[in-house]
Amino acid sequence: MDGQEEKFESYLRGFQPRRPRALPFPQAAAAVWIRRLAAAAILTIATVSSIWFVSRRPGATIVAGTAKNHSGLSPAEFEPNTLSLVPLTRLALEDSARLDVTLTNASRNVLPDPRRNDNALRSLAKE
Amino acid sequence: MAEQTLSADDVRRYYDQHGPALVAYACSFVVDVAAAEDAVHQVFLKLLRGNTQVPDAPLAYLYRAVRNAALNARRNGQRDVPLETQDLCFVHRGGNREAALALQAALTEIPEEQRKVVIMRIWSGMTLEEIAATTGSPLSTVASRYRYALGKLREQLKPYRKEAL
Repeated sequence: MDGQEEKFESYLRGFQPRRPRALPFPQAAAAVWIRRLAAAAILTIATVSSIWFVSRRPGATIVAGTAKNHSGLSPAEFEPNTLSLVPLTRLALEDSARLDVTLTNASRNVLPDPRRNDNALRSLAKE
Repeated sequence: MAEQTLSADDVRRYYDQHGPALVAYACSFVVDVAAAEDAVHQVFLKLLRGNTQVPDAPLAYLYRAVRNAALNARRNGQRDVPLETQDLCFVHRGGNREAALALQAALTEIPEEQRKVVIMRIWSGMTLEEIAATTGSPLSTVASRYRYALGKLREQLKPYRKEAL
């Protein structure tokens, strides 16, 4: 290709064909799906974390349907954090005496212990 | 030859890269630039619907499909509008409307195969080898078509390109 041709080529490139109007590409639909997925993920995370947070609060140790099978455990093995409505109900139906013991044991862990040295009641009693 | 369905991204890429050149190509079949745009749109919309099988060389298909769409538009009674009274297919960087008009007219006067090679080379940015592969013509044929076309265009545009000489 000689210099004349190259020069004429660059002259021709000085003309720009008209750019056609935009096509309706389906990118908007894809973006909508991504946004919906992100919203669903955020909602799920928020729900799970709020449930977890509520279940971790000391005052909310009795949560319905979270334990597996506590009726087979001895009352001493009952941890307050694992107390749940279903096994407690089962225990109440099967053996009310064991239920009392279980609740008593659990109350020692959940409620303030008056025998502890730093207990407020003990301090007041001293005064 | 194997066929494929182009993804929306592929269609977009081809549209961005070759859309203007295809409009220029369609302009040589229909006088109205809006009709040329419609022809290009029609082809790409069909591709976007995803039910069109495209050969391994999509560009060859695109040029052929745009040509057919433009010829159909012309056959379907598109009225020929004098070039002076409507939008042009080309815009000159220096704003020389007469030169743009002359280029458009000159392109319609050269044989179709030569015109296609020039448009592919200059405005689609393809090499002569790529054009040969796309059109299925020997490289020597493509090269001579290109040279003939440039010669004719240079002659036609001589009065308008004093500044380029």
